[in-house]
Amino acid sequence: MTNKSRRLRDSAIAGVPVSLALTVGVLPMIVLFIESIGPGVTTANYREALGPLYRGTLVYSLGVGIIVTGVCLAIAYPVTYWVAHRCSSRYRLQVLIALTLPLWLNYVVLNYSWVWILARGGLLNRILTDIGLINRPLDLLYTDVSMFIGFVYIYLPYVILTLYVSMERLDYRLIEAARDLGATNRRVFIDVILPSTLPGATAAALIVYARIAGAFATPAILGGPGNVMIASLIAEAFRQYFDYGFAAALSFVFLFIVVIALLAGGAIPQVREELRQW
Amino acid sequence: MVRRLWPLLRRGAGRFPGVVVVLTLAFLYVPIIAITYLSLSPNPQPTVPIKGVSLRWYNAVLTDTRFIEAILSSVGLGIVSAVGGTTLGLAGAHTIIRSQLTSATRSAVALVIGLPLFIPTVVVAFAIGVTTGIMNLGFGFLPVALGHLFWVLPFTTFLLTARYTELNRQLPEAARDLGADRKTVFVTITLPLLRPALFASALFAFALSFNEFLITFFLAGSGVTTVPLEIFGKVRIGATSFLNAASVLVLLVSALIAGGASVLQRPT
Repeated sequence: MTNKSRRLRDSAIAGVPVSLALTVGVLPMIVLFIESIGPGVTTANYREALGPLYRGTLVYSLGVGIIVTGVCLAIAYPVTYWVAHRCSSRYRLQVLIALTLPLWLNYVVLNYSWVWILARGGLLNRILTDIGLINRPLDLLYTDVSMFIGFVYIYLPYVILTLYVSMERLDYRLIEAARDLGATNRRVFIDVILPSTLPGATAAALIVYARIAGAFATPAILGGPGNVMIASLIAEAFRQYFDYGFAAALSFVFLFIVVIALLAGGAIPQVREELRQW
Repeated sequence: MVRRLWPLLRRGAGRFPGVVVVLTLAFLYVPIIAITYLSLSPNPQPTVPIKGVSLRWYNAVLTDTRFIEAILSSVGLGIVSAVGGTTLGLAGAHTIIRSQLTSATRSAVALVIGLPLFIPTVVVAFAIGVTTGIMNLGFGFLPVALGHLFWVLPFTTFLLTARYTELNRQLPEAARDLGADRKTVFVTITLPLLRPALFASALFAFALSFNEFLITFFLAGSGVTTVPLEIFGKVRIGATSFLNAASVLVLLVSALIAGGASVLQRPT
């Protein structure tokens, strides 16, 4: 087989997945972009999407994304530190699998399982009233609180998995050396652990905050009527109004923010290395 | 209390990280245990504690025609994604690692295949929904299956790419030197070496498709219902024992698939 015919055959092989990605990915994005500047060529949809009414939703969604990501990182740091450096190597893989198994479980069902815990007659209220901590049930379900718990529940395993990779690479002898030289726990964290795991943490944050900001199922199942996020607006526009222009513009504004953040993160070489694993 | 905690926090972090691990595991698994427990209730609306143990809601789920229809289409979509996604992923991995195309072309292929990883899923789902609507392709099984294939493609491609780079290049070359043609080399050397990764990729693709909700939600219209879609629809009406049993079944299926996949290919 000559080089030329090999190239031809390789192009044919590449053509199959690429044509799927072009028809189901690139083409719809072009159609959506045309919708966003329509009818004709106008910026009206973008002006509406960035107007005071919807700018609030955008900021709220991104804010929820950033706060939940921060909470996930705060939990993931001690967890991955323990698994990578304290856990006996016999059980390490089992613990890691237990911590990341929920990634493979259905997130609609996982969100729903919290309904039974947080409802007025749910398990948590039942336990708290039985031990006498509260007199009347707390209204937790369909509030910011339940939505927030749902988000941490769904996205914590992603953050743990991403952070674990850089935590494992951290040389434990550095921590021991710092302790021998008298460093407090706070100094060990700030001077030793944080600098070498920051790229991994940044990568995890970049992956997770956008997924949270664009999430649909969690606010729909656990949020209240006031918890309107970007995806709720898009889904509403798609299913009810058939006025795609505004929702299309909103999608592109959101996409623009996500891509800018990814490019900014990718501009740092260490973060790019971590992102590559995804 | 503070006086006892303070030394722990200052020196060597003490038990603090271990305590967080235990609390995290509890946080992750208590809801799953709770819903499994409640699904065994004999009443349509479970009470705490449940009054007796019964499998009647599992029986109800498995004899509900709408639910069986949803399971069948979920499994069908899963099989299409597993077989199609892995085949296309193999083609993609071959292109990215082994092909004679220029490196710029190969990077472009990787970028296009990787689109679902950095475009928010709701935007992708919306774009596909709008496009099928405008082109009058209608809703139903085919657009949903294509959407799922597109969604699993980066995962299968990059999983197989990782295995492809680890492959010993000398084996196929030795076979070539001994006179085997490219097809024989591919069938007798490359494929068997990739076999564990191919099975892992198929299982992961099945799990991803089986759990996929957003793209299906935007595309299914009235034609297709899948298990996550069916559960989502019922959740909004109200929580019941029927729904709990259905949820436990879904968790069981996805856990089994994920377990099988991680035996074949350890998670990163």
